[in-house]
Amino acid sequence: MSCGKHHNVDCSEILDRVYVFIDHELDHASSEQIQTHLDECGPCLREVDLERMVKALVARSCAERAPIQLRQRVMFSIRQVQIDLNTNRDLG
Amino acid sequence: MPTVLDSRTRQEPRLVEHIERLEWPLPLPVMTSPETPATTESVEERTARFERDALVYIDQLYSAAMRMTRNPADAEDLVQETYAKAFAAFHQFREGTNLKAWLYRILTNAFINTYRKKQRQPIQDSHEEIEDWQLARAETHMSSGLKSAEAEALEHLPDSDVKDALQQIPEDFRLAVYLADVEGFAYKEIAEIMGTPVGTVMSRLHRGRNQLRTLLADYARDRGLAPEREAEVTS
Repeated sequence: MSCGKHHNVDCSEILDRVYVFIDHELDHASSEQIQTHLDECGPCLREVDLERMVKALVARSCAERAPIQLRQRVMFSIRQVQIDLNTNRDLG
Repeated sequence: MPTVLDSRTRQEPRLVEHIERLEWPLPLPVMTSPETPATTESVEERTARFERDALVYIDQLYSAAMRMTRNPADAEDLVQETYAKAFAAFHQFREGTNLKAWLYRILTNAFINTYRKKQRQPIQDSHEEIEDWQLARAETHMSSGLKSAEAEALEHLPDSDVKDALQQIPEDFRLAVYLADVEGFAYKEIAEIMGTPVGTVMSRLHRGRNQLRTLLADYARDRGLAPEREAEVTS
């Protein structure tokens, strides 16, 4: 699979590594190699941009705020565990 | 009716994974240390340290719990259970290691052990063999002329569509995508949180994102943000 132009690294190799590239899981040399390819290959760049966009979309859409009463419940249950721990320690 | 041998062969991988999950020791051995100065810290001091260091993640854990349980009441219960368990084991947590990943692992473990059972959802078959996701990718370059239009359309989707689409992909895929995209965890951390090898994490991300992208494109089309599928093929 190729865009028809000559590249040092074939498009198919780039497309195989889109996710590890956008997730920053590649070492510096491999990232550079892909970046060089993207600088000269429009179709691959658009593919990478689209995947980055989907990633950003998920990040943007999933942020929620914990309800205030949940914070209070959590504090309360921590205190409960603390009492249990103290009781155990005193008994032990 | 499958033969005994067949069903055993088929079930084995999931059974192994399931047992691994049930036996997750909390906290992780790698995150515990016998040298942790737990003895010199009073329970009150530990409580203060926990509230200072761990409670800052409550919004994030709640967001993740919402994606897992799909409803606010269960999400709240799950977060409360997570914090109670984490605090009870906090004396074993080694300071300086990744507290957020540790909390996420407890959250994930609690979800799998409690809520997934409670919700009585059949475990979605994720078909996780790594045999065809690379094949699926090879096609995407063909339609590259449509990419900018697709990106633009997706960008205008409301958050509710993205959440809905996430809910439609298999749970293990959804969690991997969530941990990578929302929390920015490294593959190695996601592997620790989910109790799976890194290769499985990569496979889940590939499959989850491919499915998600297809669903998002459908939402964009339904909202008239993107051209119909037929029009795309002929253009």
